[in-house]
Amino acid sequence: MSTDAGVEVRTERLQVGAGEVRLLRAGSGPPLLFLHAAGGGGWTPFHDGVSASFDVLAPDHPGFDESEQTEEVEGVDDLVYHYLRLLDILGIEKATVVGASFGGWIAAELAVHSPHRVEKLVLMSPAGLRIPEAPPTDLFILPPDKLVRTLFHDEAIAASMLEVEPTVDDIVRIYHNNTAFARYAWKPFLNDPKLERRLYRIIAPTLVLWPEHDKVIPREHAERYAETIADARLQILEDCGHALYGERPEEVTRAVLAFLSADANGGSQ
Amino acid sequence: MKFNFFHLMPYPTLPDDFDERFSSPSLTYPSGQFDPEVGMEAYDRYLGELEYADQLGYDGICVNEHHQSAYGMMPSPNIMAAALARRTSKAKVMVLGNAIGLRDHPLRVAEEIAMLDHVTKGRVVSGFVRGIGWEYFGHSINPVLSRERFNEAHDLIVKAWTSEDVFQWWGKHYEFRYVNIWPRPVQRPHPDIYIPGAGSTETMKYCAEKRYTFMSVYAPNSTVKRWFDGYRSACADLGYEPDPEKIGFAIPIYVAETHEQAHREARHHVEFLFHKMLKQGPEIVLPPGYMSESSLAGLLKGGAGAFSRLSYDDLVDRGMVLVGSPESVTEQLERMRDELGFGQIMALMCIGDTPHHRVVRTMELFANEVAPNFRSAEREPEAVPA
Repeated sequence: MSTDAGVEVRTERLQVGAGEVRLLRAGSGPPLLFLHAAGGGGWTPFHDGVSASFDVLAPDHPGFDESEQTEEVEGVDDLVYHYLRLLDILGIEKATVVGASFGGWIAAELAVHSPHRVEKLVLMSPAGLRIPEAPPTDLFILPPDKLVRTLFHDEAIAASMLEVEPTVDDIVRIYHNNTAFARYAWKPFLNDPKLERRLYRIIAPTLVLWPEHDKVIPREHAERYAETIADARLQILEDCGHALYGERPEEVTRAVLAFLSADANGGSQ
Repeated sequence: MKFNFFHLMPYPTLPDDFDERFSSPSLTYPSGQFDPEVGMEAYDRYLGELEYADQLGYDGICVNEHHQSAYGMMPSPNIMAAALARRTSKAKVMVLGNAIGLRDHPLRVAEEIAMLDHVTKGRVVSGFVRGIGWEYFGHSINPVLSRERFNEAHDLIVKAWTSEDVFQWWGKHYEFRYVNIWPRPVQRPHPDIYIPGAGSTETMKYCAEKRYTFMSVYAPNSTVKRWFDGYRSACADLGYEPDPEKIGFAIPIYVAETHEQAHREARHHVEFLFHKMLKQGPEIVLPPGYMSESSLAGLLKGGAGAFSRLSYDDLVDRGMVLVGSPESVTEQLERMRDELGFGQIMALMCIGDTPHHRVVRTMELFANEVAPNFRSAEREPEAVPA
C-alpha cells in the first residue's frame, strides 16, 4: 500500500514462535522498531515521517490487530522475548526502539533485558512503572466517549472521532485489541513492580517524550524514567494529549527525528 | 415441576436522586451509602423469607454471590447457606453459585460446600458461576482468564470432592502439592452442580457433557428458548435427552389476589430492579476478554440493549417477569413451560424494593394456588403444605 505521503509500505507475515505476526515496513536506513500503544498497530503519518530516515518496522503485538495471540505470550516479559526473537529472525543485531504508552513499557523492558541491542530508545508517555501515588487512568472502565476524550487533548479531534457511529465489526475489533491489552496489563495494572529497580541497565541514549495534557499517564512516570535511566532526557510536548502521534504527528515526528539524528555524544536539542 | 425460591438480598433502598448521581449500584456505588442498621434488618428479613419458603414447601431455597453492589448483598453465599442450614429441614439449599472464576483458592469452596452438605444433611446444591463482569474489576482478576480459571477451578473442586486419596494439582492457575479435603461431601459422588448460561454455546456443551443442570439468567422468553434449545441439542449430540429438571428457568414473579392489583403494585418494584439495580454500562458488564468475540458479535447483531431501555410493559410482554393473580400466573407459567420446556423454576419474589408483606403474599399465593396445579399435573403425590 502507498500512503498519502507517497510512502510505499510493505506488509510482511512472519512466523514468530507459534504465531504469525503482521509487520508493516517502509523506509531505508538503520532499523527502527516501533512498538505501538494499546489502541493497536498500523501505519500513521508519524511512521511516514520517520521512514524518511529509518527502516521502520511496525509489528502488531501478538493478539492485536492482525498478529495471532499465542499461548506462549501471556505477559510483558514474554513480549520482550517475542521481540528479541523477531529481531533475530530479521537478522537485526541492534535497533533503535520507539515505544508509545503500553509499547513504551515493552520498549523499556526490552532495553533492560538486552541493553546492547538497543541503539537509541524513545519512550513516548511510557507506562510500566509502579507509582502508587500517581497511578495511570483505568482505561478498561471508560465508556467509548470518555475514552476518546481522555486520550485526546484537542476536543475538536475527539468530537470528530465520536461523530461516526461504530459498526459491529468496529466494536468487535476494539474488543479484540482490548482483550490482548487486558491479557498483558490488567494485573499488575500497566506496571511491572520490578521494572524501576532494573532501569539502571539501560545504556542507550533515551528520550522520554511526555505530552503536557496527558490524562492517562501522570507526569511522575515520565520524570521517573528520565531520572532513573542513565542517559535520558525528558521533553514535554505542549498542547497535546496522550494520543501523541495520533494527535500531533508532525510535532512528534520532529521531536523524535531531532533526537535520533543527534550525535551519540552531542547535545542536539 | 420443582419450585425454588431465589433471593438476591438486594439493599432495599436507593436515594431519590440515584439516577442523576450514580452510574450504577454496582462496583463504584460508594459504601458510604450502606447503612448498617438497614443492612442488619434486611439480612434478618431475607433469611426469614428463605426459611419461610422451606416451611411453605418450596423444593429449593437459593442464594447467590455478588460483590460490591446494592443489587445483591451476598459476597459470600456460603455464609448465607450456613445460616439457613439448621433453620430449614426439607428444601434443598441451593448456592447458585460460587463465583469460582474469581477465587484464588478454589479448595476453600470445595471445603465449604462439603461442610454445608453435612450441616444440611445432604441438601446442598452447588452452583458455579464465573462472576459478573464488574466483579473482575472489583477483584482485580484478569477477565481474559475468566473461563479458563473457571474450568480449572471446577475440575479441581470436583476432583477434591471425589478423590479418596491425597493428590497433587499442577494446573496453569492453581498448584497444590497436597489436596486432601476434610470433610468430603455427604452426597456421592458429589452435590449436584448447576451452571447458569447466557447464550454461550460453550456453556451449553459443558453442561450437556457433564450432565449438569443448566439455568437461564434474566432474558426474554424468545432468547431463553434459544438457550434451552441449544442445551437440549448439545445433549442430543451426545445421544441423550435431558430430564426437564435439568433445565432451570430464572424469573421474577409477583402474585396478588387479582391480576390488576398485581400489575398496579409490581410495576414500581420491577422497574426498580431492571432500571436501577441493573443500571450498568457495557464497560463494566463486559470487560475485555470476558466474552468471546463471536458471542459479542452475536449479542450486538441480536440488538441486545440495556435493561433500562425496556419499559415495564416490554418486560411483561417479553416474559422477563411473571405478574398476576394465581390464575393468570398459572396460565402464563403453563405457556412458558410448554414453550421453553423447563422442569425447575428459580423464582425471584423479592423483586427490587418489594416490601416484606408483599413478598410473603406472593410466596403464599404461589405455593398454595399456583404450584399445586403443576404438581398434580405431574401426578406427584405430596401436596404443598400450607
